[in-house]
Amino acid sequence: MTGAQWPTEGPNKDQVKEMYMSLKTTLLATAIALAATAQAARAEDSFKIGSALGLTGYAATGDRNWRDGLQLAADALNAKGGILGRKVEIIVEDNRSQPQDAVVAYRKMLSSDQVNAFDSGCVSAGNMAAASFVARAQVPMLLCSILPQKPEEQAWAFSFLPPPTFEIDARYGYLRDRTQIRKVGLLIDPTPYSQLMKGFATRLAPQYGLEIVAEETYKPDDSDVNVQLGRMNAAGAGAVVKLGQGGSTVTVAKNIRQLGLDKMVLMASTDDGGIFKSASEVLGDRFYFIGSAVQFGDAGPSEKAANADKSNGAAKAAIDAFLTPWVAKYGDRDTGQASRAYDSVMLLAKAATAANSVAGPAIKDAIERVGAYNGAGAVYDFSDKQHVGITKNPYFVGQFVNGRPTVSK
Amino acid sequence: MLGVGLLGFVMLNGGYLVTVLGLAAIYGVFCTGLNLFMGYTGQASFGQSAFAAVGGYGTAILCAGHGWDPVAGLVVSMAIAGLLALVVGYPVMRLRGHYLAMATFALGLIVYELSVEWSGLTQGYMGYAGIPPLGFAGHELGTERAQLGALVAIMLFGVWLAERMKSSRFGRALRAIAGSEPAAMALGIPVSRYKLAAFVVAAVYASAAGSLFAHFIGFISPEVFGVPMVVLSFTMLYLGGIGTIWGPVMGAVIASLLPELFRGLKEMQDIAYSVVLILMLIFVPGGLAGLLRRLARKPT
Repeated sequence: MTGAQWPTEGPNKDQVKEMYMSLKTTLLATAIALAATAQAARAEDSFKIGSALGLTGYAATGDRNWRDGLQLAADALNAKGGILGRKVEIIVEDNRSQPQDAVVAYRKMLSSDQVNAFDSGCVSAGNMAAASFVARAQVPMLLCSILPQKPEEQAWAFSFLPPPTFEIDARYGYLRDRTQIRKVGLLIDPTPYSQLMKGFATRLAPQYGLEIVAEETYKPDDSDVNVQLGRMNAAGAGAVVKLGQGGSTVTVAKNIRQLGLDKMVLMASTDDGGIFKSASEVLGDRFYFIGSAVQFGDAGPSEKAANADKSNGAAKAAIDAFLTPWVAKYGDRDTGQASRAYDSVMLLAKAATAANSVAGPAIKDAIERVGAYNGAGAVYDFSDKQHVGITKNPYFVGQFVNGRPTVSK
Repeated sequence: MLGVGLLGFVMLNGGYLVTVLGLAAIYGVFCTGLNLFMGYTGQASFGQSAFAAVGGYGTAILCAGHGWDPVAGLVVSMAIAGLLALVVGYPVMRLRGHYLAMATFALGLIVYELSVEWSGLTQGYMGYAGIPPLGFAGHELGTERAQLGALVAIMLFGVWLAERMKSSRFGRALRAIAGSEPAAMALGIPVSRYKLAAFVVAAVYASAAGSLFAHFIGFISPEVFGVPMVVLSFTMLYLGGIGTIWGPVMGAVIASLLPELFRGLKEMQDIAYSVVLILMLIFVPGGLAGLLRRLARKPT
């Protein structure tokens, strides 16, 4: 087959020379460009925050929000003179939601960009793969994902993700207090966060007077879950508690409707508002989701802030400070992850200012000493023994009413 | 010479390009093995990632879980992968063309699912962390540059072995099968047996690549050995020149460096990378090795 595509005669001498020179020039240019990339951005007068994000691949929806939240915070800080007089620079690298690409991205930001700290997205495997050498380099990692596994890696990592038990508490509490449903089916995807939730979901059910009648698994890219839902229905489940994020939530909603399960409700994990809206359009008032205060209400920043703990003026101010520029720039786009990204940069700035240093170890120690910090997405309270910052449940159970996310009463 | 120059430049300058070249060397090993099966034998396998997973998880479990020496973990994982390839390949190698491709693809998916679901062994999506760097008899290669040196040496050894196989009786039989299976059979070559042998050898290479990846990165999870690995290795193989000795290595290096060249383009990076790949496949159909062969051909 290939034989037909090849010329029957070889090139003449001039052609060979020309091709060789062209190849040589290309390779030389490649080497120069690679060297330039490796040496890029060594400016000394900026505070560099590196972020490995899944801008493509399965984590794209959430991680793009994370990126925009980071940039919003950087813009706000720069408007006030930056961090310790240095301009805040967000360096974003796409890890394609793959651990291998995440490692290259982290290495590039460490060696070429010489970042002061990392503030990365929700691709757990990518962050875990990089955690060992980031810890050795003594650069703090602020993460959207769960913490890495090894204690020596955890020492340099700070998670801005609410602990999985909070999702379970919020949903189980709602079922116990507001509904007659006592039999529940768990629909679980295999991601690390969902697996952690599964353990809590099983253990906590009896404490809320609930019975787990079915545990079914699915993959995030499954095109339907009819079989799993059928088994849950046969076991008498009145509610599907979904442990996992992404477009599969809409798939589950559609399947519940297609199967005619008119009494079954769906309670989704924390996720992007766009997904909640789509699922709600399918299931109507039988679709529930969880979100933090900043995700509810769309009449404007003040109304959203009012959903927060009214006694906490600092929380209300933090939500307003984030939402005003966010809404101006991105309109109705979901705020769940972006607000926590924004908070992470603000907390980082506070720590660096307190430490009066941009060195990794000083910033790490300062983050552990900041104490309770009221952010737009939650309250964070890191310490040397507590590297999962959210210690108070920030979630409300919500529904869409008249097309608007509303706290379910 | 260019390769030596590039390696010297990266070794001297350090930085993240050490990681990029390290991964390229690992893929060089993987693709050299795949090339034996696809390039020389003319068979299609979409499931080599399965054997890389066996190598990666074998190394992780033996070295991180049980404190084995990296070399011992590497060798035992290769043996397990070879045995698995023998057992699976015995019935599968009787298939041809699309059926063989589908069967091997299914093998890749099965092992991927196992790595996700058998979390008691593989830790599922949580991944396996704390895998030690390459080393021997208690001496670890502590720096990335030392590891890169070792990876390049292993890759060159793999290429040398492949070259030896290619010019052996075994290699000639494989090429005869690639030309025409009925004709090879008529010449007395036991086609299924030779195909199986090539499959096993390719699996052993893939397993070595998986082990090296685990040692180099220190962490593995199922995503590492998913479909993207298959797509990337095919890209490398065709870019470098399938059926040539140095093609897989050249493809691995170029396909690893190209994204870095375009990194400054940010969101356009993937588009630029894809455009260059398409142009190369159109205008250099025999791969880079083919191009160099044309350049080296004596002018008429």
